[in-house]
Amino acid sequence: MDGAAIVEFLAASIRIATPLLFGALGGLLSERAGTFAVGIEGMMLAGAFGGAVTTLLTADTGIGLAVSAGSGAAAGLVVAVATAKFRADHMVTGLALNILVVGLTSFLLRGLFGGQAPVIQLPTLKALPIPYLADLPGIGRVLFHQPALTYAALALTLAISVFLAKTRTGLMLRAVGENPEAAFTAGSNPVRVRMAAIVAGGALAGLGGAVLSLQEVGTFTDGMTNGRGFIALAAHGGYRHRPRGQCRERSCGRPRCRSCDREISRRSAAIIVGRWMPFPTLLGCLLFGGVAALELRVQGWDLPVSSYVIQMTPYLAALVVLAGIGRGARLPAAIGTAFTRN
Amino acid sequence: MSEDRSARVNEVDAADGGAMATATRHALEALAAADWLRAVVLASVAVALALGVTAVLIAISGKNPLVAYAAMVRGAVGSIDRIAFALNKSTPYILGGVGVALCFRARVINIGAEGQIAVGGIAATWVALNIAASSGAIVIPAAIVAAALGGAGWAAFAATIRLTRGVHEVLCTLLLNFVGLLLVSEALHGPMGEPGAGFPQSPLFKRPAWLPHLLAGTDLHIGILIAVFAIVACHLLLWRTTFGFRLRVLGASPAAAAYAGVSFPRCAFAVMALAGGLAGIAGGIEVLGVHYRLIEGFSLGFGFNAVAVALLASINPIAVLPAGLFLGFLEAGALAMQREVGVPSSLVFVIQGLTMVFVLCAIGIGIRQQRV
Repeated sequence: MDGAAIVEFLAASIRIATPLLFGALGGLLSERAGTFAVGIEGMMLAGAFGGAVTTLLTADTGIGLAVSAGSGAAAGLVVAVATAKFRADHMVTGLALNILVVGLTSFLLRGLFGGQAPVIQLPTLKALPIPYLADLPGIGRVLFHQPALTYAALALTLAISVFLAKTRTGLMLRAVGENPEAAFTAGSNPVRVRMAAIVAGGALAGLGGAVLSLQEVGTFTDGMTNGRGFIALAAHGGYRHRPRGQCRERSCGRPRCRSCDREISRRSAAIIVGRWMPFPTLLGCLLFGGVAALELRVQGWDLPVSSYVIQMTPYLAALVVLAGIGRGARLPAAIGTAFTRN
Repeated sequence: MSEDRSARVNEVDAADGGAMATATRHALEALAAADWLRAVVLASVAVALALGVTAVLIAISGKNPLVAYAAMVRGAVGSIDRIAFALNKSTPYILGGVGVALCFRARVINIGAEGQIAVGGIAATWVALNIAASSGAIVIPAAIVAAALGGAGWAAFAATIRLTRGVHEVLCTLLLNFVGLLLVSEALHGPMGEPGAGFPQSPLFKRPAWLPHLLAGTDLHIGILIAVFAIVACHLLLWRTTFGFRLRVLGASPAAAAYAGVSFPRCAFAVMALAGGLAGIAGGIEVLGVHYRLIEGFSLGFGFNAVAVALLASINPIAVLPAGLFLGFLEAGALAMQREVGVPSSLVFVIQGLTMVFVLCAIGIGIRQQRV
């Protein structure tokens, strides 16, 4: 690759990482508050659908974006009510949402337009070069010659980072994810905080879907997110067991042993660190964006491998990254659990 | 029913003596709380609610829900052919679902049935294309065994990543699903593809490799019998063997299981491989009995259906049979509804997703009531 090709490759990586970043940030909000975000895929698909159909009907991208965030939030609300209010299992509820949204979008795409899926052809959002900065050699092309939503995603990373680390609400959100009973004692309402976090996360994921349908391809097809939501999950940390150290019971190989919880968590709960952080998430998304950009490029290289093997790379890369992360990664302590007042 | 369960607790008491029984008594009582009548009511209410919501959607799309549902019922049970079609549809859901149900029992969230079905289908196809036997009695069992091994191997791969590297099984199995689907494409565009075919598919199998039919004149193949056999076997495994007991204890209380010396890694690996094997068989049956060849994307959506079936059955192997049949008939009916009334058949996914959400909520509330 020569210099220009490398610049193109990096720019493409960032562009491809954008929907992942929206999805991953949405998932991060939900998970820092204590709810697994397996439904991100469905929320992104809902957003992609809402954005594309609204833009088609109103010819206004602004309204389209608003509706995509709203659709993602509505999908998030289903998960929020089921998991936070009704204490349903987080993982399986997320999966159920994914099926539901695949069916609903596919049905509405035909049902709303009289039985036949309409041909959606929208102009994709164009790159918005930032004056002066875009003219910088190399880096200008990579960083400052991107579509608007890509800038938004990068700004959002910073905003969420500040929100979680520096604001009172952000602290409360993290507290609910770490120890809802303590947060409740301190006067917050864990159920409501979790629901709000999931719905807000859904809105972000919905925007991620809109990036796909409005910025990248300009159309909507059934199931178009195609696993990006799951890769976004991998990007913001991935679920690893062993958050609290190895259980010391001889017979117990289980990484998270309930019987020993108390002793081990006392040691680790003091530090709220881990990979559920916005900027490492950004890096994760860029990594997967890079893999996908490379995948596109490699297909033109005439390698002795078929395109299907190359298409597997993002998924395999996600697995390898997850398997390779150090054992220190720690989930929010109360993730996956339900909160009840008693 | 509850007397039966408490008798079982006493048996355990006598057999294993003090500590373990005390630790597991609570666990078994929790299981007994999910007794079958409640499970049936729960599943029926969830399905009814989902159908109700879906009716509203049909109305929004400008069609009469009653007309649509009538077409659906006709499409599901209207003739012998339709019933045969629906039974064939149910077969992979039952086989995949019973494996998922066993995994869920032990709190192993295996959602890799789709990839496992795909790999099982590839394995069965390889055998069917490469074994030149003239008798089905050799080819078919060989192909089914290969399918089971393929599926089990794929699941074991996910389980290994889960257990050695600690990556959550939901993510391992999901990501491997995408890889499994692409493996089918790769096989069909490479070694197994039919040269010159417009669609990515393998050559048609030779006659002996076709699954025998149950009813002359219909498409009903023996897959459904295999599925019923698997259900009975899994039921006995779960309720009558030590391994099944370990799975139940792991699911009911990991702490009690740890105290009793049940090895989570060993059980998780075994139950994943078992579920993978069953899903693999489902894939084998699909290629040998329905398509008579491997086609691209033949397993699409099966994995989620298997999860839906397992949940609808309250993760009880015997109940997977009606749940799987329900889904198979629902899908057969929906396809007919699409043809007759013009209501898109993707509505099935809506019904499934809603049913799952309702069932999950009901289970969640159930837990709350227990604690109060």
